[in-house]
Amino acid sequence: MVHRERFLELKRRLTSGQLGLRSPVEARESVGVPALDRLLGGGFPSGALATLEGGPSSGRWSIAVRMLAQATRRGLAAVIDEGELYPPDLERAGVRLDRLLVVRARSPLALVRAADLLVRSRIARVIVMPAPVLRAALWMRLAGLAYRSGIVLLVIAPAHAAPELTGAANLRLGCALDRVLLCGSRGVWCMLAGFDVRVEIRKYKRTASDAHAYVRAVTMHEGVPVRERAIGRAVLSAVGER
Amino acid sequence: MLLCLVVPAVPQCWEEMLDALDAVTPLVDDARIGVAFLDMRGIAGDTTTWMHSVRNVLARFNVPVRLGEGPNKICAYAATWLGDGARIARGREREMLASVPLDVLDLDDGTRDRLHLLGITTLGALADLPHGPFVRRFGREAARWHEWARGIDHTPLRPRAHAIPIEASLLGEGPIDAQAQLFFALRILLARVCGDLERCGKRAAAVQLDVELDDGSTQTMQVLLASPTASERAMLDVLRAKLEGTAWRAPLVGLRVRAANLEEGGEELALFAGDDIDAQNVAVTLARIEAVLGEPVVRAHTQPAHTLEERFVYTPFAFTVRAQTPEKCAALPPEIVPQLRLLAVHEIEVVVAYGEPAFVGSPKRAVLECAGPWRVEEGWFAAPVVRDEYDVLLDDGELVRIYRQGKHWYARGLYD
Repeated sequence: MVHRERFLELKRRLTSGQLGLRSPVEARESVGVPALDRLLGGGFPSGALATLEGGPSSGRWSIAVRMLAQATRRGLAAVIDEGELYPPDLERAGVRLDRLLVVRARSPLALVRAADLLVRSRIARVIVMPAPVLRAALWMRLAGLAYRSGIVLLVIAPAHAAPELTGAANLRLGCALDRVLLCGSRGVWCMLAGFDVRVEIRKYKRTASDAHAYVRAVTMHEGVPVRERAIGRAVLSAVGER
Repeated sequence: MLLCLVVPAVPQCWEEMLDALDAVTPLVDDARIGVAFLDMRGIAGDTTTWMHSVRNVLARFNVPVRLGEGPNKICAYAATWLGDGARIARGREREMLASVPLDVLDLDDGTRDRLHLLGITTLGALADLPHGPFVRRFGREAARWHEWARGIDHTPLRPRAHAIPIEASLLGEGPIDAQAQLFFALRILLARVCGDLERCGKRAAAVQLDVELDDGSTQTMQVLLASPTASERAMLDVLRAKLEGTAWRAPLVGLRVRAANLEEGGEELALFAGDDIDAQNVAVTLARIEAVLGEPVVRAHTQPAHTLEERFVYTPFAFTVRAQTPEKCAALPPEIVPQLRLLAVHEIEVVVAYGEPAFVGSPKRAVLECAGPWRVEEGWFAAPVVRDEYDVLLDDGELVRIYRQGKHWYARGLYD
């Protein structure tokens, strides 16, 4: 009887959240962008292997870097880099560079081994990595490790991601460039002010697969959006309209 | 009487030299690296004998030394400025110091310049200054300089503290040819070292591992720990991670573990450590990644520069306790920020119309929008770099950073 009472008490405390324990599926890593957070139901689920899929210039890295910025406010984050990272833009996006581990991996094998070590160590809340060509078993292993560790493993994948990866991913987001924002007239007076990205859910068990949102990427210069600083007429150039 | 030893070229083996001087006198004062005072009172012999003994014990280090003798520290030190083997006799301090330059006092640059402007370049000239006005003008420190210039120095000798090596070794147990044996031996050695550390009330910030191989060679490895510790487990984890990527030429026949970079006191622990990052876990992970990939995990630093590739540098990632404490961070931008991804620089074909890029690449892609050019000019003094950079929006939706250098065009980055 005593054991039963203790069990019920423990259960009550667990369900009421008094112990502060959270299921890794329920916890969220907020992106800090309202439109995207609404789409994802509060942010990326902790313990998920999530993919950001899209072609070049589709805004995948801009979203991933936003996650890094959020994560480095509270702890460490990691990015596995193939030599394409441009740190000044990371800093403009709010990433604390002293809390960002940059792992340079040149081959797919090195990349997956680095990811494996990082995920298992649980030192970073968010890990961003490109999508190498791997066997399905390796992606499944990484997904399992991410789930057990409770971290978000963000994989930047091409528009048509490999089925081995898409099968293992808990959450798939498709990104596409919607329109480009320019500031100024032409030539030397013209600057890239940002772009709009259409983000759609391709796979997520908690949201309809056709749900989508628009996210705006705004170029920052010395902490101020470019459109507010630039001199000249703002030109909106829509790729789709041309 | 005191002997002053000055080693002009600061040697790596300074500590070993001081250890050797213990054979000459029981009181060695390690003033700073390259300068030591030896108390010769009560030691049999005269100045010549003492200096000969010092030179004898330091001969094996094969470094040039200067010796001087005097009744106190300033006189012994100033004697080395007068010449190797010089001696300043008691009662003649002021007279003999008169020609020594002011540099012997180790003054700051500003004070030395002010004194030079007043025409004071030697200790003799300084000693001739009236004490009161000099101290009023140059501050309290000037009283000491004035005394030194007159050959008066009451600074006591401070006996040098001997560093006690905390180490443990395992030799003559037969060759180790399996990793499990190595780790077992390491665990035993680390347990002894950590026990000694705890007894001394110290903690180590690094562990030095000396490995003796079957072919007679020795390899030394210094492993930095995340934070100073006396925990056997923490040291073993980092050492194991380091050793995972190490290949040995021959079976191991001997091991020695030494605690290095010792610090006083116990370990810092957080009262509420629930969400804190375990520094030791970070160090182990960094070591493992380095062992697997062959290069360390890095962090980026930004710096002002004109060309893209010079605006950042990477240094090995160093985890600090401050990194895990919650701080008030600046607010994030309300929107996401476009990210430039650096491409490996490659030459591209560009068709120019009306002074602007019109078609890029092969096959040709039309340029819908073009921002730029922004002129970058650098290195005019050595290797001039003149570039015109453009951001172009192509008809397939790619946003690319290209630049023209001379007559050639290159792709540099892609916004994503």
